Amino acid sequence: MKLQSHGIETDLPPGWEGRIGLRTTPSADTRSIGDASEVPHPIVHLANFALPEQRGDFGSGAVDLMGADDVLVVLFEYGPECANTALFQRQGIPANLTPSMFSSSALQRTLPGQAGCQIFFTENGRAFCSYTVLGRQSSARRVLPQANDTLSRTRIAPR
Amino acid sequence: MTAVVVLLGLVVAVLTLLVVGMLRSHAEILKRLHQLGAGLDPDGPSQPASPAPTPVTSREDFQVMPQVPAPPDREEFGGAADLVGVSPGGNEALSVRITGVEHDTIVAFLSSGCITCQKFWDAFAKPRKLKLPSGTRLVIVTKGVDGESPSSVASLAPGGFPTVMTTQAFTDYDVPGSPYFVYVHGPSGRVRGEGTGPDWDQVSSLLSQATVDAGLVTSLDGQQVAKPDADAEREARIDRELYAAGVAPGDASLYSVEASGPVDHEHDHDHDHDHDHDHDHDHDDHDDHDPPA
Repeated sequence: MKLQSHGIETDLPPGWEGRIGLRTTPSADTRSIGDASEVPHPIVHLANFALPEQRGDFGSGAVDLMGADDVLVVLFEYGPECANTALFQRQGIPANLTPSMFSSSALQRTLPGQAGCQIFFTENGRAFCSYTVLGRQSSARRVLPQANDTLSRTRIAPR
Repeated sequence: MTAVVVLLGLVVAVLTLLVVGMLRSHAEILKRLHQLGAGLDPDGPSQPASPAPTPVTSREDFQVMPQVPAPPDREEFGGAADLVGVSPGGNEALSVRITGVEHDTIVAFLSSGCITCQKFWDAFAKPRKLKLPSGTRLVIVTKGVDGESPSSVASLAPGGFPTVMTTQAFTDYDVPGSPYFVYVHGPSGRVRGEGTGPDWDQVSSLLSQATVDAGLVTSLDGQQVAKPDADAEREARIDRELYAAGVAPGDASLYSVEASGPVDHEHDHDHDHDHDHDHDHDHDDHDDHDPPA
């Protein structure tokens, strides 16, 4: 199942669904934090469970619904000025996640049993953060191959 | 003595009348049964004498409310497919998995223009009142930007449910028009029910019925009694013996009466045959037949 928008393309494996959209611009009507003058950048949410419509940038609202074998992958793009800087010096989408990379302390919102992994990288001159959440840390060895497969099927085109 | 003879004569006359009446009644019953196509004669006419009522199967025979589309002209449910399209605002690409998932999905095909659809848009804005079956996800589908106004759909789309703008889904699900609803069983990806109605209450009732029916079939499957071991062993033994005798599965002799063993003919060949049958045996050879047991 192919999904393409904003220069990002992915071919989701069976059981996965996704969204590729723009970050909601902060305004009086929205609850998004940030500067109202900011330029919205793409956000990708990929999951092997049914994504709820009300989601935060890093998956709040979705992580609350995750089961033991559920995985959420977030690709959050930063401004072009961040590309290839020290934090984003890693090149390419990380598609070889291992269980040792995950920790409950890496979660944006700590939930019992869950674990997260955050990696910053640059791909084709675009700066991203890859944020992956496991519904249960002990399931990492079983579900991470799915997440790596999904990430390896994702392409980011230059702007 | 004369009185007794007269009395007996009267009794016989009354009984004769009763027998004649019963025979006439019996003949009338047989005549009616014959008209209905029932009978023991395998070579007789199998079709009833009077035409059977025509079943309502054609699209033109259905009368639906003018606000709702007529059912599709097919006998089986349509197919199910995952959804790929854009969000109502048009700035987000989204995919929604329908098949091969644990949960079931109600796919609601709506449009921004139809009057009946407005009732559903309003109903979907209040998720708690929908009373969706547990473990069931509601997904709204409109036609893509080639057939709908993204801004119109955005103003109607509820925040609590995914809304996918995709014209392809209307083709995949063979949707006759809007509003239309398809209930998909997630694990199997099969359509359990589909249809439409003037409001959510009616559609919900229709889909609930489909769910109950499907659940009933599943429960009946689970209640099937296993064949007793003795029967299974007997069947296996017969299969082995047939195979040893050169009768393999699919052998013509298993399906032909004429190819089976000799038949004892113990009927009298001197009687008159008042029915047609195609026996091609030689009546003169009856002396060669095995004697009746």
